[in-house]
Amino acid sequence: MKKYLLKRLLYMALTLFLVATITFFLMKLMPGTPYSNQEKMTPQQIKIMNQQYGLDKPIWLQYVIYIFGMLHGDMGTSFQFSNQPVSYLISSRIGASAQLGVQAMIFGVVLGILVGSIAAIYRNTWVDTTATVLSIIGKSVPNFVLAVLLQYYIALKLGWFPIADWGGFEYTILPTIALGVGPLAETARFIRTGMVDVLNSDYIELARAKGMNKTGIIYHHALRNSLIPLVTLIGPYTVALMTGSMVIENIFSIPGIGEQYVKSIQTNDYPTIMGVTMLFCFGLVLIILLTDIIYGIIDPRIRLTGNED
Amino acid sequence: MKLKKFAAAGAVVAVSALTLAACGSKSSDSSSKQVLNWDESAELPTMDLSKATDVVSFNALNNSMEGLYRLGKDSKIEPGLAKKTTVSNDGLTYTFDLRKSQWSNGQKVTAKDFVYSWQRTVDPKTGSQYAYLFDGIKNANDVMNGKKPLSALGVKAVGDYKLQVTLDKKLPYFKLLMGFAVFFPQNEKAVKQYGDKYGTASKYMVYNGPFKLTKWTGSNLSWTLAKNNKYWDKKNVKLDTINYKVNKSNSTAYNLYKTNKLDATPLSSEQAKQLKNDKEFITRRGASTFYFQYNQTKKAFQNKKIRQALSMSINREQFVKKVLGDGSTVAKGLVSSDLAKNNGKDFAADAYVKDGVSHNKTEAKKLWQEGLKEVGIDHLDINMLSDDSDKAKASTDFIQSQIESTLGDSVRVNASNVPFKTRLSRSEAGNFDMVISAWGADFADPISFLDLFTSNNSQNDGEWKNSEYDKLIQASKTTDAGNTDKRWDDLVKAEKILVQEQGIAPLYQQATAWMVKSKVKGVIYNSSGSNYNFKDAYIKE
Repeated sequence: MKKYLLKRLLYMALTLFLVATITFFLMKLMPGTPYSNQEKMTPQQIKIMNQQYGLDKPIWLQYVIYIFGMLHGDMGTSFQFSNQPVSYLISSRIGASAQLGVQAMIFGVVLGILVGSIAAIYRNTWVDTTATVLSIIGKSVPNFVLAVLLQYYIALKLGWFPIADWGGFEYTILPTIALGVGPLAETARFIRTGMVDVLNSDYIELARAKGMNKTGIIYHHALRNSLIPLVTLIGPYTVALMTGSMVIENIFSIPGIGEQYVKSIQTNDYPTIMGVTMLFCFGLVLIILLTDIIYGIIDPRIRLTGNED
Repeated sequence: MKLKKFAAAGAVVAVSALTLAACGSKSSDSSSKQVLNWDESAELPTMDLSKATDVVSFNALNNSMEGLYRLGKDSKIEPGLAKKTTVSNDGLTYTFDLRKSQWSNGQKVTAKDFVYSWQRTVDPKTGSQYAYLFDGIKNANDVMNGKKPLSALGVKAVGDYKLQVTLDKKLPYFKLLMGFAVFFPQNEKAVKQYGDKYGTASKYMVYNGPFKLTKWTGSNLSWTLAKNNKYWDKKNVKLDTINYKVNKSNSTAYNLYKTNKLDATPLSSEQAKQLKNDKEFITRRGASTFYFQYNQTKKAFQNKKIRQALSMSINREQFVKKVLGDGSTVAKGLVSSDLAKNNGKDFAADAYVKDGVSHNKTEAKKLWQEGLKEVGIDHLDINMLSDDSDKAKASTDFIQSQIESTLGDSVRVNASNVPFKTRLSRSEAGNFDMVISAWGADFADPISFLDLFTSNNSQNDGEWKNSEYDKLIQASKTTDAGNTDKRWDDLVKAEKILVQEQGIAPLYQQATAWMVKSKVKGVIYNSSGSNYNFKDAYIKE
């Protein structure tokens, strides 16, 4: 286990390094300067500015300087927000994004399990059909459409929740629903399929024959076994929530990191692009590692060291 | 048990009553206060006026800082810190007598604060993107290029309350510049004390304007301008608070507006089309013109008839109404309307060349055929470069279809919609046939636009050259600089040449549609520079 973890951590570091390198050079291929008033500056002024910010140095040298800085925890200073360290920009805005992401994930997965299980238990009845239709709708309606609808009907017309902004818990409810419905629908479909398979298997028959009650069978055998494949979905969900949150943050005026990222790319804000890319990348590789570990723990049949035998 | 429940219920009732009472007193309190809730479409990037580049920063600076002058309605020069201004006979030395006033940290605002601020902005180490506006102030260019020390800049403090500025050349628009935030003073003590943090949050800043910025952390989506009790003219400031809220989605902002959470909000083009008959609907025209540049290093575009034909084939009226729909208007020329006036006449109206921006299918076809013949070709493929925003894409689609449907098979337009920065780079490299460019004026003078198309200007990407035009612009800056009418005539003539020759083809003047509650009064909007001045604004319930 230790050996496995060490190996995985090494791979993680290598992945991060490769992503940093590729992003750095791709970013430098983008035309233009990071100066927002570029169109009004003369080439001479741009030259002076480039000297000022070290952008006149050869790209490989800029790369070395950047990596060196990053290894020392210095992600540089933003161009869009002058004098603002990228680490501050990220730390002051990651909280809202993370909270929204985690809430949406919990909302989607918990409710998804519930809906999926009910559909499987009452399979081929109207309950199942309704749940299936709803999850297809949930999967196919883009989250920004849902967000706008929720905002208009629930917040504006009914006045149950705030229209936008980020304050207490009540501000997080509509964006959480908008963002969480996708994972909810996906989870429900996944759980239903898994559970129907399990419910038809021999060991469930055996449990029934032993006289176990229905709840016990579903909880102890059917649900636990169909949960395993769900863990693999957490990785893709994380990606979906990261990208999905950009739009949702805009619609609900949430001070998150998503929109910051898009804007930094549009404005060639090099240090911010790198900072946020590395953060997203780190989040993703970490989640993948965690799911692999969890997978091994909940299902002893999967041994982490298996491929070393 | 029952008693417990009863007591609990009683407590709940009591707490609710108290809360309600508190709410009640709060709302009656706030109704007597003058509060404006304003929508902003982007974050506030910086409060360091040497580094600001965007409208949000300039608006916040304009309302929380004070310079020599303050720009009132129609960019009229109004008194700021300058009590008295004396101009030397040759027009090259300005002496300002400053009034006594204070920074929000209690220090005196002195002439030295202006000297410090200006030197800081032109210092190449600061990396100011607006330093070019100092061009014309003695030695500014040499200081910016690092050839002369900061002390060589033509600005001097004579005692605490006298500021003397020396110019290299006459700047007829000098006073207008003094109303722009880039020329406002900065408190040296604050800049040094806060160091790298200066201007990155409301607490790392000192103010001397009508309002003080509060609740801004440097990256959050809301902040507040609160009345500054140390402001020299505080008795004329009516608003107590301006609450800014960033909403990047127009529909969200409009929903907040409908529920009275916002008093003013900009609209998307779709919303504008639906709401244009509402009594709270207004449009604000910016000093920003969109136009075509033709690549005149290419033979076909050196032909005037070809340029004219392309321009005439576009129905601009239909374009601004059907495609844009946000209140934008057909450009009269390069210089925007409502920017500058002389003897009561608007520059754009004075320099209007109708043929240069009108739609005439028959004439377009005729000129096109003649043009092709003169160049010796029978077909032209045109690469039309533009931005990749939704609006820009809709614009290129429309223009492309107008040109192709008017001029027929002998023309093919290929649109390249690329990101803004790519568009700039490709324009600078001359990598286009036609490009839709835009320019926004920094200050309310026609030269802010007309300087662009002199032969050697770095922004003249199409490389249109006209010696008569160059001469007129030069005369406006030298021989005629001191004579308002003559200078005006030079500039009018220059713009007429530019449009008659179709050095560029003006398309439209950009506007933004807004909804503003009718209780909001006295907001001053200027189309150039810092757009909003809230000093005189108030709420009339």
